[in-house]
Amino acid sequence: MIVRRLAAIMFVPLMVAFGSGVYLYLGTLKSKVVKERAQLPPAAKAKSVLPGTMYVVQDGRLYRLNDGGFTEIGPAGDWSQPTLTPDHTHLIAVLRSAFFSDLYLLDLDGHVLKRLTKNDSRIIDANHWAFYPRVSPDGTTLFFGYDSPKNNGVDLSIWSMPLNGPQYQARRRTDPYYYTGGDVSPIPLAGAGLIFVRHSIDPSTAVHSQIVFQSRPGDWTGKPLTDLADDCSQPALSPDGTQLAMICTGGKQTARLEVAPFNGNALGPARVLLDAGLYASPAWSPDGRALAYFAPAGMAGHFQLWWLALPVAPTPSPAPSPMHSPSAGGEASSIVVPPPLPAAPVPVQVTQGVDLTATSAPAWY
Amino acid sequence: MAGLGPARRRRASRLHPVRLGIFTLLCLLLSGFAGAAAYFFPVVVAGVGQTGQHIVVPPSDSPGVKVTPTPAASPGAPFTVLLLGSDDDSKFNADHVLTQSMILVRVEPATKHVTMLSIPRDLWVPLSTGGSAKIDAAYAYGGPAAAIATVERNFHVHVDEYAWVGLKGLIKLIDQLGGIDVFVTNPVLDDFYPDDIGGGFLYGYKRVAVLPGAQHLDGSHALQYVRSRHNDINGDFGRSARQQQVLIAMKAKASTLNAADLPDIVNALHGEFKTSMGLDRVRSLLSVASAFDLSNVRRIVLYVPAYSSYGQISGQSVILPHWAQILPIVRANFP
Repeated sequence: MIVRRLAAIMFVPLMVAFGSGVYLYLGTLKSKVVKERAQLPPAAKAKSVLPGTMYVVQDGRLYRLNDGGFTEIGPAGDWSQPTLTPDHTHLIAVLRSAFFSDLYLLDLDGHVLKRLTKNDSRIIDANHWAFYPRVSPDGTTLFFGYDSPKNNGVDLSIWSMPLNGPQYQARRRTDPYYYTGGDVSPIPLAGAGLIFVRHSIDPSTAVHSQIVFQSRPGDWTGKPLTDLADDCSQPALSPDGTQLAMICTGGKQTARLEVAPFNGNALGPARVLLDAGLYASPAWSPDGRALAYFAPAGMAGHFQLWWLALPVAPTPSPAPSPMHSPSAGGEASSIVVPPPLPAAPVPVQVTQGVDLTATSAPAWY
Repeated sequence: MAGLGPARRRRASRLHPVRLGIFTLLCLLLSGFAGAAAYFFPVVVAGVGQTGQHIVVPPSDSPGVKVTPTPAASPGAPFTVLLLGSDDDSKFNADHVLTQSMILVRVEPATKHVTMLSIPRDLWVPLSTGGSAKIDAAYAYGGPAAAIATVERNFHVHVDEYAWVGLKGLIKLIDQLGGIDVFVTNPVLDDFYPDDIGGGFLYGYKRVAVLPGAQHLDGSHALQYVRSRHNDINGDFGRSARQQQVLIAMKAKASTLNAADLPDIVNALHGEFKTSMGLDRVRSLLSVASAFDLSNVRRIVLYVPAYSSYGQISGQSVILPHWAQILPIVRANFP
């Protein structure tokens, strides 16, 4: 009898353990999407080694990717959108606060050298945003998106100021009045030209993004490089200035990664490198033969770094005649037409398990 | 028993191995069931407390509009859900909140088609509770029943179910889903975004800037994206389009979930969600979500000037409906 009672007493913990086991087992059946939490880049070794050095952002932290390993740089804060000076000796990045953002000059190890803008105010709507810093090819002028003036709303327009000068010398380069969010992503060209992305609304109330070329300051209208219906944005100019990579959605919730030849004021026909994905922020490799970009991987949808080696194509030949071009208003006859690519490029996933900020294009040299 | 010898009594008092086996199995089944019950307990509590909410909608006086609730439709039959999203902070009394978001959703489980029609919150309509006001006030005056009746009477549509979610619930739900991926079409900047979620002064404002491009949004940033409206040239219509976009992104993400995820989801939505839908309807919705295809989703926004116009009534900025244009599109998509 005593043995049976002892056995029964022993059986109770077994039942409890089994019940707990079932409870815990059910917990392991959760979908990966719920369980998957992003790692910080230094904890995730890159799957592929990219040439050169790249700066990326996750959760407001700046990271340097070099030889397949990530290193966090820079002081604490909500950092984003790093860009390199043309001589590759300094970084400029956005430091964002709750009500405003400023541009800072940093060395390549992330040490702050200078605050370039001062956009804070005690009055809420007198604060300003500064995003999308980019330095002119001669290294003297800083271009950026800035929400001033505030006419019936807050729109970003493109401004420029001397890199070594005070902010009061900044001048507005574009007029976004009555757009939907305004002008972003400036790319200053050699000379006085400027490429940027304009957001606008058509009569049917659809919102569009369009890549626009501005030949000189004061050219308020600019010349569209892409069709309104293509909804292209996030331009990236190749190191030699002859190709423009961009993201186009055509009004959909998926995107295409495209590359088009650029002759300084017009685009040639675009080649679709990747289609039907959430591609973001392309950046050219230092030699101009590859593109890095962000796209989600895995069920959680965290954005990873990818790269795409562009096939080496035979030497481009001049266009025999004016051709159809997606460039709106482009002077197509002067554009060189690249021959068809020999093979479809294959994307290579560089990172895994991180959650890189897709609105901060990689800075790569 | 008196005739039994000591050896036989010992044998009788010992459990037969088969009986022992069955007893052990039963005990393990019982403990396993208890473990599973404990795991899904929050789901059961929520299922009882938050789904199948019984409401009595006053009869519609619109011709051709049936009275809600209708008899239970067969499983797999199309149904219409009114999605409601609200501020639910302490600016308002509980259940007397404005519905900042009102989306009519037609679900066709058989064909996996979904149609979404966003109703502008400032649409000036007769309320089912009497008088005329912006449609977002219907819920504040009479809860979900009034919101449904107001929509039914004005849009000449039959609403089978409703689902209400608070803003904090939306944040938690998206976080529980691990965030969502969206392609932000244009910069969403707002100098007067309500700063009423994180505590503190409920009538304060803050600035938000959601930059364009494909990105992964957590709950609070997704809320900024769907809630901001002060700088959208399309006003509330732009916001409606963004809400539909986020809803689609959430549905895409939810299609990757399974039953084991339910307790976490339910905990995230605790007190922030209620619906008239029973488990059958929820199952139908989940089946549509699991077979999700973007091409099967139709999105309708009642933009100005095609479907409405801006106006001023009693010092309020309102949207005046053009019923001659609205009703045909409603009839075509919400039979």
